[in-house]
Amino acid sequence: MAATKASKEQKYDRQLRLWGDHGQEALENAHVCLINASASGTEILKNLVLPGIGAFTIVDGHKVSGEDVGNNIGRVSNVTSLCYTIVISNPCLHNRAQAATELLQELNSDVSGNFVEESPDKLLDNDPEFFHRFSLVIGVQLPEGTCLRLGSVLWNANVPFLVCRTYGLTGYMRLVVKEHTVVESHPDNALEDLRLDQPFAELKSHIQSYDLEGMEKKDHIHTPWIIIVAKYLEKWFSDHNFQLPKNYKEKEAFRQLIRQGILTKENGTPEDEENFEEAIKNVNTALNPTKISSIVEDIFNEEQCNDITAQTPAFWVLARAVREFVQNEGGGNLPLRGSIPDMIADSEKFINLQNVYREKAMQDASVVSKHVESLLQSVGKTSESISEQDIKLFCKNAAFLRVVRCRSLAEEYGAETVNKDEITSSMDGADGEMVLYLMLRSVDRFYQQHSRYPGVYDYQVEEDISRLKLCVHSLLQEYGLNVNVKDDYIHELYVWPHVQLVIKIITRQFVPFNNTFIYNAMSQTSATFQL
Amino acid sequence: MVQLVGSLRKELADSVSDCNVLVVGAGGIGCELLKNLVLTGFKNIEVIDLDTIDVSNLNRQFLFQKKHVGKSKAQVAKESVLQFCPTANIKAYHDSIMNPDYNVEFFRNFMLVMNALDNRAARNHVNRMCLAADIPLIESGTAGYLGQVTVIKKGLTECYECQPKPTQKTFPGCTIRNTPSEPIHCIVWAKYLFNQLFGEEDADQEVSPDTADPELSYTEARATASDQDGDIKRVSTKDWARSTGYDSVKLFNKLFKDDIQYLLTMDKLWKKRKAPLPLDWLELQKLGTILALPVDFFLSGTSLKDQHVLGVAGYSQLFSRSVETLRSMLADKGDGAELVWDKDDPAAMDFVTAAANLRMHIFSMNMKSRFDIKSMAGNIIPAIATTNAVIAGLIVLEALKILSGDVEQCRTIFLNKQPNPRKKLLVPCALDPPSANCYVCASKPEVTVKLNVNKTLVLALQDKILKEKFGMVAPDVQIEDGKGTILISSEEGETEANNSKFLSDFGIRNGSRLQVDDFLQDYTLLVNVIHCEELEKDVEFEVVGDAPDKAPTPPSSQEEQKNFANGNKDSAEPSTSSNAPAEQDDVLIVDSDEEPSSSTMDVSTESGGLKRKLHDAETGEASAKRQRLDQATADDDDDIIALD
Repeated sequence: MAATKASKEQKYDRQLRLWGDHGQEALENAHVCLINASASGTEILKNLVLPGIGAFTIVDGHKVSGEDVGNNIGRVSNVTSLCYTIVISNPCLHNRAQAATELLQELNSDVSGNFVEESPDKLLDNDPEFFHRFSLVIGVQLPEGTCLRLGSVLWNANVPFLVCRTYGLTGYMRLVVKEHTVVESHPDNALEDLRLDQPFAELKSHIQSYDLEGMEKKDHIHTPWIIIVAKYLEKWFSDHNFQLPKNYKEKEAFRQLIRQGILTKENGTPEDEENFEEAIKNVNTALNPTKISSIVEDIFNEEQCNDITAQTPAFWVLARAVREFVQNEGGGNLPLRGSIPDMIADSEKFINLQNVYREKAMQDASVVSKHVESLLQSVGKTSESISEQDIKLFCKNAAFLRVVRCRSLAEEYGAETVNKDEITSSMDGADGEMVLYLMLRSVDRFYQQHSRYPGVYDYQVEEDISRLKLCVHSLLQEYGLNVNVKDDYIHELYVWPHVQLVIKIITRQFVPFNNTFIYNAMSQTSATFQL
Repeated sequence: MVQLVGSLRKELADSVSDCNVLVVGAGGIGCELLKNLVLTGFKNIEVIDLDTIDVSNLNRQFLFQKKHVGKSKAQVAKESVLQFCPTANIKAYHDSIMNPDYNVEFFRNFMLVMNALDNRAARNHVNRMCLAADIPLIESGTAGYLGQVTVIKKGLTECYECQPKPTQKTFPGCTIRNTPSEPIHCIVWAKYLFNQLFGEEDADQEVSPDTADPELSYTEARATASDQDGDIKRVSTKDWARSTGYDSVKLFNKLFKDDIQYLLTMDKLWKKRKAPLPLDWLELQKLGTILALPVDFFLSGTSLKDQHVLGVAGYSQLFSRSVETLRSMLADKGDGAELVWDKDDPAAMDFVTAAANLRMHIFSMNMKSRFDIKSMAGNIIPAIATTNAVIAGLIVLEALKILSGDVEQCRTIFLNKQPNPRKKLLVPCALDPPSANCYVCASKPEVTVKLNVNKTLVLALQDKILKEKFGMVAPDVQIEDGKGTILISSEEGETEANNSKFLSDFGIRNGSRLQVDDFLQDYTLLVNVIHCEELEKDVEFEVVGDAPDKAPTPPSSQEEQKNFANGNKDSAEPSTSSNAPAEQDDVLIVDSDEEPSSSTMDVSTESGGLKRKLHDAETGEASAKRQRLDQATADDDDDIIALD
């Protein structure tokens, strides 16, 4: 067992550096369902099997036929799936689901592959609960009707649903999830959580243990910059009515104050004290007042946060517990994150300082943990249902919590509920990605009416174009959209970023898009819309 | 199989199936690219890669499976592709593209060259070869979720070297040998130590105390040198180690006790610094198992073994174990054999982890986990299949534009981690015209170099300036002194005698001009020499008008450098084959965690973000692009060069 773990560590090294071991764990616990092992479908699955999802199930009732080969290859553009090509070029394999499963399995023996030789419609008729078991369902090239039916089943079961469609050089992805909560959102510009503006008791006494004036030079040049800033901030506070340096001018004055603290050599020139330089450099970010972001405030004010029941997901129980902490022990602040950046200091001083933050963070987390426990008790659940590990992770990321909610497919497709504003306002540029959205939806209608895609047969091209135009017009009319769609939008298909998104959903790290992504390979651009 | 005429115009479909293309690199991007090419209908493909397959490739390089580990990437990639597209005509080379066999004539065989590389040296070289052969080049790179594709066409666009890349970070030899102050110094030292003990000895990679430290006064250095330096110094580290039979305890005590005690005698060094604390093997073992436990044992939760930081005693034992393993690996290879450091070789990685951490401890630094040291020592750029798939798809689309004769339509395309404020995940920008001052693609490339003609050896001119800095493979140098004196010849044996002479010995002085030719790259560069006595400490030469100050935003903090690590080194694995080029030993100058936990993210990304926004507003496009370009290439060749 240990050996497999080590070999996994080696195999997945490059990605562990992106999403960490708990991200990998989430991936390995995931069971993804792919409906239709088409070119784009298998490409998506390939890119999930390689990094090692736990299991996949392919649902596909299609037989491999010669016509299938012709149709698909003909329409498939430069990026198709290797597996798919093998599947359709191998006459011994008759069922797409089985063939694709076997080939995908070969890519990574850690992944368990399953298949169901059945059309999604049949499954929806006979056993709609079949789909409840998955962490995520990916539907590729599904007809509109099937999409809506499946969409509503998954919506009610709160299973994320990713609708993918590729056509010519364009691609479309729609994420349908009632609620997706993110603990580790990996923000780009996160500030450290240092609390220098309102040091907690342990930090205060730690700062006091330093005496910059009285210490030896050796210690002076190895004092962590956090201590330096804190020391001079005390001075600053006493002169400035306990107000932080706010604007550029004040911050500059504060920097000057620190600069004056640099030791001087016998000849009067300043010593080379890198830690002081570091302190000066960090003034800007270290002095940001500690406060809770409006996004996190909003989460605290959500209904789910107020009404905790036995069914409430862990995220909301944790959010509520943190809210209790903020309102009580935290004195208005989130639990401390507990990490400090690397800095110039000798190890002893650094580790001592690190421990001050770490221990406070552990204390805060254990207070939150008590809140979790009593919340769970109040709804008749045991405290084990949320692990200490999860509580710690949640506290550490409390400042970055995110909740993504998508509209349902029914809302997007309904004539009453369609998001007209988003469509109309995005139609300003005549060649924008929104046009492609409308085109793809029209092609869908075409398929619904004719059971095939337009332009499949050379001899029908002219007729197909006018048929497709009709579809576009009826779509626009139905939604009461007064927009102009140019005629020259029939192209090729392209596949890809689905997997990036799937990983975001499964690992619950990073923030997925909300909710529609359109790729335009003609201009190599892409856009996201909220539909 | 059905042709793509349905989606590609007939003429385009024809040229796709008729043309010859070259794919340089069969790694992360290369695998996806090969698949895309054959499925688009490309029939004649040549692929070259000098690497062999490693386990850590398997999470994304889907043409390879476990059973292929150790085999040639190019060869296996070819075989796997032929399995699903037997009609393709693929030629595979298990070789370096910098090998002189691949000359301009070779490059002229292709309609199009596509780079799927992971290091700057090879990118520079292919750039020049394509300029010389006038063949369009598609350049690409990925790092984690980020990626980039661009097109280079002689005379029409910027070449790969038009924009100065941030210069490579070098560490003075005395910092490495005497006064390390950051973990990276200890990691570099440990890698040098590996080579000194088990690999190819390199005079630039000394690890013993340096008595020529400029911080020591002349007399002091002399005194210590004559007092204690006597016999030991004359024997190379390797010979000494061999004479002890690679006794790990003796090695330990020499490196972490005796050498440190010797450093302590240079008391001038420790007046302003915290003095190092020597370690003693026996004493450490007496402290026993408590110190062998991970420091963060109780905090660690479920995190993986590699991410723990052990105690000093733990690292002393790891040191001993890894020396033992490496000793027998070396013995198995037979007489005169050498080991090549490879971050994916467990024993080699254990050795560097242990030695670096012991040294960090001695010099009062916080020790680091094997996971972190691996990313610093091995220049690891995180990599996943999806980003590579996206980028490979974009490469093919650019290729189709080139084949349709629409080079003007080509773009540089950036792949973002998150949709930008204009909701775009993929951002195309127009290609810039060539830079008139480029020392590679200008019509008469010229450059000015500041150096001390009395102190610069001809060999240094060849290796450090012409090869390393200006990316030449086999330079010939002629002095424009009216006589056409040949200073360096690429013919073996012709000018070797010049190597150990100074430039001034050949009459080179302030204002001298050197004509440098690289026949392989079909590249001529005129070098103007400026004599300078006062170069910065540890700087051997300076290129005028180059330098990082011209680069848009030079990294100024460790955190920024971390961002800069988000570059385009896709498959960061070093070559496991023997003819590894020098840059495979790169050390990435990043601070620590590659893993982007929220706590390691820093506001310094703001500068990048801001520029990107500027770009989005379609103002300052060029600067935004440059910023990103530099970012994208900053990582991949931060060779550490010890300067004595």
